[in-house]
Amino acid sequence: MAEMLLQVENLKSVYKTRFNERIVAVDDVSFNLENGKCLGIAGESGSGKSTLAMSIMGYYHPPLFYESGAIYISGIDIAKLPYNQLREKILGKEIAYIPQAAMNALNPTQKIINLVADVMKEHVKGITINEIKKIAEERFETLNLPKDVLQRYPIELSGGMKQRTVIAISTILNPKILVADEPTSALDVTSQKIVIKLLKDLLKRGFIKAMIFITHELPLLYNIADEIIVMYAGEVVESGKAEEIIFDPIHPYSHGLMNSIIVPEKGIKGKKLAVIPGAPPNLKLKLEGCRFFERCQFAKDECKNGRIDIKCANERNYRCVFGVEELKEMYEDDKKPATT
Amino acid sequence: MKSYRKYMTSKIAWYVLTFVVAVFLNFLLPRLIPGNPVSTIVSKITSGMADTNSIKRVYETFEKEFGLNKPIWEQFMIYVSNLIHGNMGTSFGQYPRKVTDILASSIVWTIGLQLPAIIVSWILGNVLGVLAAYIKKGFDRVLFPVFLFISCIPSFGFAIVMVWLFAVALKIAPASGGYAFDMIPSPTLSFFLSVLQHYQLPFWSIVLVGIGGQSLGMREMSIYELNADYVKYCRLLGLKDSKIVKYVFKNAVLPQITGLALSLGTMVGGALITEIVFSYPGLGSVLFNAIAAQDFPLISGCTLLITTGVLVANFLVDIVYGLIDPRIKVAQQE
Repeated sequence: MAEMLLQVENLKSVYKTRFNERIVAVDDVSFNLENGKCLGIAGESGSGKSTLAMSIMGYYHPPLFYESGAIYISGIDIAKLPYNQLREKILGKEIAYIPQAAMNALNPTQKIINLVADVMKEHVKGITINEIKKIAEERFETLNLPKDVLQRYPIELSGGMKQRTVIAISTILNPKILVADEPTSALDVTSQKIVIKLLKDLLKRGFIKAMIFITHELPLLYNIADEIIVMYAGEVVESGKAEEIIFDPIHPYSHGLMNSIIVPEKGIKGKKLAVIPGAPPNLKLKLEGCRFFERCQFAKDECKNGRIDIKCANERNYRCVFGVEELKEMYEDDKKPATT
Repeated sequence: MKSYRKYMTSKIAWYVLTFVVAVFLNFLLPRLIPGNPVSTIVSKITSGMADTNSIKRVYETFEKEFGLNKPIWEQFMIYVSNLIHGNMGTSFGQYPRKVTDILASSIVWTIGLQLPAIIVSWILGNVLGVLAAYIKKGFDRVLFPVFLFISCIPSFGFAIVMVWLFAVALKIAPASGGYAFDMIPSPTLSFFLSVLQHYQLPFWSIVLVGIGGQSLGMREMSIYELNADYVKYCRLLGLKDSKIVKYVFKNAVLPQITGLALSLGTMVGGALITEIVFSYPGLGSVLFNAIAAQDFPLISGCTLLITTGVLVANFLVDIVYGLIDPRIKVAQQE
């Protein structure tokens, strides 16, 4: 069995508002990340993907608070680590992050090389500026980034270049785990491909050992992820191998997500687009039963009550009261034209 | 680089144009004040004289001496040609002293008081502002209302409170003047000590009022910057908070630099009232007395000095901005 780099057990994170309201944004999430693997996390806006990313890095800054559960990185439970130790030992070194909006992630009044220098000085004791320059230039060259980017200010770089620069900076210390939070969402398709290729390259060359890739675009995950977890309203609703989730989703929500993907084809303008009706539930409320209940076209009365746990059936993990065969039958019925 | 030079050239042209207009207004506006400065002087000199003829002659002599008998456009041409030769004319009120001499002796006091006061209040205000934004909690809860309160007090009101508290009630500082009355300016230790003693009240009254406004502005800017994406990213890279606060300080201080330059430019006129409250021998008091005596050349001299100060300060801001913020430099080159 491959080495476990990250183990998340029953993690629960909440946002606390000024009016003492609690929003459970990550609810009872567990997963493992093995050496050499890429884990995809999918879900729509507000499903708790980014909060999960913050949580597994132990980055609890108000209004986000840790509530319960454990996050093991190299055998240390970082959820209970004081911030200073987390910063010194873990952040940037063991686990690194690529932000959602790389456009604004770089300090506008600082040259790229100076940020790289600050990061390296923070984690490598006694390193000189010449050594830093050499390492940075080598790394940028290996990753097919122009060397002169280092001497530039963020404003002088294009969006795609900024994103790749951020990736290079985040991974300069060869962290074991890379958390990429929607790194391609703001990019055009060409830049997206370059970024995906760069991330794969990092894994292949061993600059990082494993990756968590967060996105709302499921098809993209097929390209890069080995395993996928689908999140809805702070919970994991389905997890499994990338192929299975993409081509054979079990949970009604994953099924709906895959159906709502727009594929460019002839006559698409006239077609009615498949959407999941409604909006996610209000997480401030105490929720009972299935959280997808209100939007699920297959919902029945039994979905309404009690707590629905993740179940493992036919080698698939999903959170639904129905069995795998039962759900598949429902999907088949749904496909048939309404007249018959 | 070529476009940058073009930007600078057009900028300089604008400054020159502004300066020319200012010179014209500086000359014209004091002369629009109703009343005749010559008759004030003549009435002082000829008090006790009975002979109307000789009084009239004295009047005419002074009118000729000051050039007030010529048409105003001719006076303006003379003023400009004198100005080019560095001559600002003779003071009416302090006749026969030259305007340039009066300005030279008083500006030392003003700059000596204002420059350190503005810089100290700017530095203290900005550091306190960024700390209040970063530490929050108790620090901010106490400092913020205090800043707000201080920044709302007009500087002359604050100066009067200082005079009453420290000079009248506690008697630990002199109430007025730049040095003790019985002294003549000389490079001796006792004179220096006397200056230092008289320096404290005006200095701190400018500094404390300045801190309030500066720190409020800085606090707002820093709160905005602390919530920027790059702060979160830097934290997740494992950077120390002290380092991140430095980044935040540099970015938040940019708009404050404009404020600093402007207050440096207006420092001559800005402390007018503070100088009057403390009878400080600076430009403020000179300008105040010149206006009271309708001393046209001296008023024009003072306002020209202030105008030049503001223009130079603005010009320097343009250059410094381009140096510290790459985004401005790019905008300047477009």
